[in-house]
Amino acid sequence: MLALLGAGAALAQDVPIEGRVNINLGKDSPVALVGMSTGDSHSSSRGAALVLDLHMALTLRNTGASRIHGVALRVVSQEITVGGKGSVSIPSLNIGLGESFPIRIDMQLMRPTQVAGGPLVDVNLDGVLFEDLSCYGPDRLSSCRTLTAWDLEAQRDREHFKHILAQAGPKGLRQAMLDSIGRQSARPQLDVRVLRAPAVTSAALGPVHTEQFAFLDFPDSPLQPLDGWAQVAGNEARSPRIQVRNRSAQTIKYVELGWLVSDPGGQQYLAASLPASDPALYLPAGKTARVEQDTALRFTRAGQPVSIQGAVGFVSRVQFADGKLWVPSRADLERDSLVKVLPASAEEQRLNDLYLKRGLDALVQELKKN
Amino acid sequence: MKHPDQETLALHAGGDLGPIARWRARRHLARCAQCREEVAGFDQYRQLLPSLDDSQDVHWSRLAAEMKANIRLGLAAGECVSVAGPIWSGARVGVALASVAVLLATGVVLEHPGPTVARETGVVVQATADGVQVREGGQSMGLMHSGTNKEAVTYQVGAQGSVEARYVDAETGYVTVNKVDVE
Repeated sequence: MLALLGAGAALAQDVPIEGRVNINLGKDSPVALVGMSTGDSHSSSRGAALVLDLHMALTLRNTGASRIHGVALRVVSQEITVGGKGSVSIPSLNIGLGESFPIRIDMQLMRPTQVAGGPLVDVNLDGVLFEDLSCYGPDRLSSCRTLTAWDLEAQRDREHFKHILAQAGPKGLRQAMLDSIGRQSARPQLDVRVLRAPAVTSAALGPVHTEQFAFLDFPDSPLQPLDGWAQVAGNEARSPRIQVRNRSAQTIKYVELGWLVSDPGGQQYLAASLPASDPALYLPAGKTARVEQDTALRFTRAGQPVSIQGAVGFVSRVQFADGKLWVPSRADLERDSLVKVLPASAEEQRLNDLYLKRGLDALVQELKKN
Repeated sequence: MKHPDQETLALHAGGDLGPIARWRARRHLARCAQCREEVAGFDQYRQLLPSLDDSQDVHWSRLAAEMKANIRLGLAAGECVSVAGPIWSGARVGVALASVAVLLATGVVLEHPGPTVARETGVVVQATADGVQVREGGQSMGLMHSGTNKEAVTYQVGAQGSVEARYVDAETGYVTVNKVDVE
């Protein structure tokens, strides 16, 4: 009996995970692992599950032939049920040949206690983006497309601030940074919960009505939104559907739209991105397709439900059959005041942080780099 | 021609109408033989009544005294079964006021229902104070952004069932994107 009690107590204790993490960077990887610290990562039992509290730091070295602009890692404790995997990506990198860079992983995963033996966690390289926008990796999470889109946004926003520096000098750049930081802190935000494929809208939310989308149509967008709607009940919007037409000369294989909603006071918020659900989308020039998702979004602010009064859509990302991507231009975003509603790009966020922590001179030096 | 009703004609026969009603009745009777016959009939009944009283062996004054006594007895019995104290006092008033308050409160709630919280089933992805969380039933998984000012974290939701948290890592200085995708 005492032995059983002792075993139970031992199971409930925190267990270090050092030595039970598998790092898989792939064959011929352009990055090599040069250091790893599991820090105070640990595992503990919770009922029939093992909770893995990860606080790890990896150090990778660029061993490839090109500068690295982004890296995505897939972190997995188990594939079967919810709570077993996530990803960590680092965009806006500029890592030269032979240079090392750190990646932190702060994550809590769960796995059944019955699964015995083997590593507790697998960290897999999913994608590495190079400066020429070529990509390496198994790409199970479509990391190459995401990293490429982030890189295009980074180029766009670096050019924007470089242009300001050239036109208005450091003083103008400082003002642009302050404006950017002010916009981000004043940006209206809602708490959004995504419910995967709920059967029906809860009766507690009130009557359901069909909310038609209005659209911001960017002139240079290869895709034209035509018509769309979502089912709205109280603070829940579900099953959005948007009809789009390829008005470019190239075939499109991926589409993503931005979705704004309004509260009863007319304040707009970014609700979600709306990617095409069809992974094998093939949209030739001049043809139409429907972008749809069977999920429900619930909106709250400070814990209180926010009723949805309007929906606006805009094209935010398009990938052509040849792999090239389109993202909205800075002019597109500023023309329709989207910069006030959308979060700053990863690069703009990094430049803001650089200015705040290291000052204007460091920012100017950063923008002078290629 | 509109005829006076039977009551009016009977009262007129007995001389019990008021001055105006009597004038109107006389005016009508001067032109209406039918109503004059009715009044004459009432007069005959009136003349017969005293003889009926004499012919019946009924002691009207005694009967009246008995009826009066029974009415007083009934009133006295009613006072015996009534509550001694006032009706609107003490606990009764409290109960009545409480009932009215409950009724009013129910009406206000039904007229202005508060925000309802719908039950969430299936897989839920959301941003929390510490990061991004996925949960289904009793299981949950979190992506955290420790060591970072929470106000500096940007969340983005994917309608397909994903949430990402983007922030500048305080230690590395790199933008870090943590993402949970339930697909």
